[in-house]
Amino acid sequence: MSLEAEKNTEQLKSAASDEVAIAMSKVNKWFGDFHVLKDIDLTVFKGERIVICGPSGSGKSTLIRCINRLEEHQNGDIIVNGTTLDSNLKNIHAIRSDVGMVFQSFNLFPHLTVLENCTLAPIWVKNFTKSEAEVTAMEYLERVKIPEQAAKYPGQLSGGQQQRVAIARSLCMNPQVMLFDEPTSALDPEMISEVLDVMFELAETGMTMLCVTHEMGFAKRVADRVIFMDFGEIVEQNTPEEFFENPKLDRTKLFLSQILSH
Amino acid sequence: MTDLAPDIGNRSKFTPKPDLPPPPNTTGVSGWLRYNLFNGVFNSILTALSIIAIFFMVKAFYEWAFVNAIWEASSRDECRISSTKIGTCWAGVNVWFTRFIYGRYADAEIWRINLAFIIFIIWMVPLWLPKITSKIFIGLSAVLIYPFLAGYMFLGGERGWFMEVMVALSLTCFLFVLIHSLLCLTTGLGLYGWIIKVSGFSKKNEHQHKYPVIGFTLLTVAVVAFLINDITFKYMSNNLWGGLFLTLVISGIAIASALPAGIILALGRRSKMAVIRVLCVAFIELFRSVPLITILFMATTMFPLFLPGGMVINKLASAIVAVCLFAAAYMAEVVRGGLQAIPKGQYEAAEAVGLTYWQATVLIVMPQALKFMIPNIVGNFMGLLKDTTLVSIIGLYDLLGMINAVSHDPKWIGLHHEPLFTAAVLFFIGCFAMSKYSQHLERSLGAGNNR
Repeated sequence: MSLEAEKNTEQLKSAASDEVAIAMSKVNKWFGDFHVLKDIDLTVFKGERIVICGPSGSGKSTLIRCINRLEEHQNGDIIVNGTTLDSNLKNIHAIRSDVGMVFQSFNLFPHLTVLENCTLAPIWVKNFTKSEAEVTAMEYLERVKIPEQAAKYPGQLSGGQQQRVAIARSLCMNPQVMLFDEPTSALDPEMISEVLDVMFELAETGMTMLCVTHEMGFAKRVADRVIFMDFGEIVEQNTPEEFFENPKLDRTKLFLSQILSH
Repeated sequence: MTDLAPDIGNRSKFTPKPDLPPPPNTTGVSGWLRYNLFNGVFNSILTALSIIAIFFMVKAFYEWAFVNAIWEASSRDECRISSTKIGTCWAGVNVWFTRFIYGRYADAEIWRINLAFIIFIIWMVPLWLPKITSKIFIGLSAVLIYPFLAGYMFLGGERGWFMEVMVALSLTCFLFVLIHSLLCLTTGLGLYGWIIKVSGFSKKNEHQHKYPVIGFTLLTVAVVAFLINDITFKYMSNNLWGGLFLTLVISGIAIASALPAGIILALGRRSKMAVIRVLCVAFIELFRSVPLITILFMATTMFPLFLPGGMVINKLASAIVAVCLFAAAYMAEVVRGGLQAIPKGQYEAAEAVGLTYWQATVLIVMPQALKFMIPNIVGNFMGLLKDTTLVSIIGLYDLLGMINAVSHDPKWIGLHHEPLFTAAVLFFIGCFAMSKYSQHLERSLGAGNNR
């Protein structure tokens, strides 16, 4: 992390609390010979909302997938809510039940109803009784505005509805951190806003969020910090105002001109 | 724009055109006939020729099987004498039919087999009824616990303490399935809910609900064990088992064990742990590469040679083990195929919500994979039912063994066609039923499950 970026982080900290939610230091990862993450240093504070952008192949998805160990990092440290992420299965499960994830392709369980999708993990991971889990699930389904679809199967819903169910499913585990891996990229244009609205409301509740997205409008409106990645490195990070109005590096300017040109 | 404007102007209000019926001769029976059988001179001629050929074949078969058939006779010679034309001698099948079904099981004890079979049917019926809950328990108990009851009813003799408990447990499960089904149909509550309600636990935490249920189950098992303590059946050695009964016992055990064993092997083959993976691959490849008949001979003739002197292994038991291992290896590959159809995102989503490997496998992956596998699984089961006939070669009197035995009976010597035809009909009924059931399963599981 450059001195500049470190100073930025210090400033940004005031936006959220002082407690650290995720601390990554010197994280490296390779896919075979391909060095996909290079010396990533990133500290996320509780309640902070971070948008990660960058060209495809820049390692942004891999970065957030390392946080709940869907991908294994080869060296460096990742500490999530005070638990160090290593090969200890107990730690991995503890972190996963504290970190919610929303995928680009929704990944709802097609053989279960919307309600069952939402109650499965609370029942089996958090030992909720079925009725407790259902009450919680209905609460969150109401928050994502689809309680009336609870008895349907995912295949009967539109893409936007499915993604909102996926968000509710994650929230049912009462996570400390939510990871979004391009949540709107697989959606038809008219469905993007319904998902972004839900994410916006979630951000307002003070949830710690890491969001890989190309929705720059969302970044401007919600993010405390925008991170730009390329070639497996964090190239630049700043508040959205500074990031969009006043990018420091040429690479960032080029990227912004490409995605904001139309 | 200007060219189109007048047209649109004339139809300021859109009214859909009315639905018209399709042109005649394209629907219904006549349409189907015209389209499929008589669409052209050449096809019409082919159709006519086929009908004539089918008519003569059916007529010849009908005359052989029914018109010229002899139904009552005391020996094959008598059959020959009483008819000048070539016809079937069903009399032999008639006399031997009980043997075809039950082998050499004593006539006075056959009711035990029938009763066990009826219990099994009654046990399974709730699975077809829509209102019944806890179908997983019913299905699992039928596969895992029923065999102890059936095993004792078939074999009889003295029960050790283990069999005493298992038979009592089995009967208890059967009672529970019956009561549960009746309660579901009448009150819609089910046995589990009923016990909780009656015991007064319904207001307590759901985690405590299991205690009255466990208590009630143990109590019932104890009562049943006490009641059946004095009832013993006459010992019927498994040398006497035979016919369709034996075929169903062997293939039933193989079918029931193949799926769980196949699932374990397939998961092992995909495991990240090298030793487990290598062992599973070795097992699967070994048993898939060797013909079943070889495995059967190895199990019944070679394997005993390696045993310490004096130790005897039951031929039926070793044959069953051999068929089970063979079936498991094949099933493992079917299951692996199904597992590969599950997208990676499902595993990731399951992991991301914190499910363990086994929870993800049982709750997320298998239910979806099994649905893909149904046609292949049932195909395997049908193959297994038919492959079981190979045990007749190692000297077990399964259905095919009994069929062959007829032609060695001095009275019916050389009678092959009729018994074989009977066996073919019996196998067809069994396999066709399985096939139809698998189609039904595919439809019912696919209903709410479209992705």
